[in-house]
Amino acid sequence: MTLVLIVALVTGAILCGIGVYGALSQTNLVMIMMGVELILAGALVNLVAFWRFLHPESYSGQMFVLVVMTVMAVEMAVGFGVAIARFRAKGSVEMEEAGDLKG
Amino acid sequence: MNFAVVLVALLGSVWLLAVIEGWTTTGRLRLTATLLSGLAYLGRESIVPRTPDRVFFETAPVLLLIVAVLGAAVLPLAPTLVIADLATGALFINAALAYVLVALIMAGWGPNGAYAMIGGWRFLGQLIAYAMLIVMPITAVAMRAESLVTTVIVVSQDGLWNIVYQPLGFVLFFIAAMALAFRAPFDLPTAPGELGGGVDAEYTGVRLAVLRLARLTLVITLASATTVFYLGGWHGPLLPPWAWSLIKTLAVAVSMLLAGRYLPRIREADLMRWCWILGIPLALLNIIVVGLLVLVVP
Amino acid sequence: MYAQAFFVAVFGLAAIGFGVVVFRTSSMVRSALALLFSQTAVGCMFLAMQTEFLGVLQIMMMATEMSIMAIFMVMFMMDPGGMGGMDMTHQKRFSIGAGVVAAGVAIVVAFWADWGPVTAEAPDAAMQTRALGMELLGRSMLIFETAGITILTAMIAATAVAIPVQTTANSADKEDTE
Repeated sequence: MTLVLIVALVTGAILCGIGVYGALSQTNLVMIMMGVELILAGALVNLVAFWRFLHPESYSGQMFVLVVMTVMAVEMAVGFGVAIARFRAKGSVEMEEAGDLKG
Repeated sequence: MNFAVVLVALLGSVWLLAVIEGWTTTGRLRLTATLLSGLAYLGRESIVPRTPDRVFFETAPVLLLIVAVLGAAVLPLAPTLVIADLATGALFINAALAYVLVALIMAGWGPNGAYAMIGGWRFLGQLIAYAMLIVMPITAVAMRAESLVTTVIVVSQDGLWNIVYQPLGFVLFFIAAMALAFRAPFDLPTAPGELGGGVDAEYTGVRLAVLRLARLTLVITLASATTVFYLGGWHGPLLPPWAWSLIKTLAVAVSMLLAGRYLPRIREADLMRWCWILGIPLALLNIIVVGLLVLVVP
Repeated sequence: MYAQAFFVAVFGLAAIGFGVVVFRTSSMVRSALALLFSQTAVGCMFLAMQTEFLGVLQIMMMATEMSIMAIFMVMFMMDPGGMGGMDMTHQKRFSIGAGVVAAGVAIVVAFWADWGPVTAEAPDAAMQTRALGMELLGRSMLIFETAGITILTAMIAATAVAIPVQTTANSADKEDTE
């Protein structure tokens, strides 16, 4: 049984790693958000694996999964609102040209 | 065994619906016309646009067909005649039908053509409108049945069908189901007079046959979902249970067709405005009323 | 047990594969839809780990969210079809290093930690849904309400940020040109 737990944890770790690479290396706001979605997906896989294999009697694990899914949706909504505002003001959502937001 | 029976019933209903659709448009009842025209599609030349996005172009019709069949897999025809009696059946239908949007976006972006792309993105606008109106009435239905299992939902309507218990939910679900199946009057994605066929425009030959089959199967799946959730599934006096299911499903599908023939096409902006300003408060009111009825009436 | 390990591994590989496609392809819509299928594979992993409600919920939510991400990409990206061959990345080696370090640390912890006794049986799916509902509206009611208020605040905030602001300066300019 620990085999399945290890497989799930390794998958979550790799998804998180790919997400970190994406969030740090992309120049466009929407692509950065896709990286963050992958990080959160990795976290979700870990949470469900821990609930299922270590503590299936306590449902706070599943509650946490619901909260993380809510956070994913909310962060996407607000992020796209910010992207629309930025696009209207500047004409692009590239992070390379966002130096004027600094300080 | 269940699998084969349900699939045969699904195909039979699709064929009957196509015959009735042909009858309403041409005025002549021809039983073999559908099969012959389906075979004719297979024989016609399959034209592919110049630089399509190949993965999307090929996958979209197949994905739409898979979605429709997956949705029909959790809907019962009789107390034990269901392909997969999942513990979260009512939610699974929703999950499967969410991929109609993915299939239409693929069909819109894939062919690298303007009309198809506009049709695809228009369906996204329709989804924003109907998404809440599909989920909230299902919530109210599950509240009465105290379970998400589709067979339990049908059993809970033993004395009183849900259409009498929650009429507001039925109207909202019916409208949202028509919008999901992009059936007239919500057929902007494939607006035949306006977009030159929209999402269907660049498909020919075998792929068009699969796409049309998938559209009809989607309508039958949604009609079956309406009977399971609101019309009491297999309950009825004289005939065997599966006969009542099929009769009710066909009745709902034909009424969706007829509603489409007599109403003008609605723009997705108007649809979004009406669904969000009027539809969602009504859906929430429905949930409150059903909650009160479930808790107060014994 | 081995069947479950096999399915979790297959869906995990699918999720990782689609995740890699997200950042390797130059077509933006392909990128968004690859992310969608990666999240679907994660949802199927949940189904393989016998949490039926969470799996179906993940599959349903991610289809809609990623499709909306697809249209935002088409709106905001310079090259949505990907035929221009532009390289849209910066600080590549640092980010590859950071990704490898993050994944590596997590994998090392997964292998070296002592996870204790692993439970073989999971509750039945119908019972899980019921128990999750009781937990949601019983013990974790405050969390549920807070999540609802957070979603409402986010909706209002996103709408308020995205509405174009019509200041007197803008309208004065328009009147002059007309």
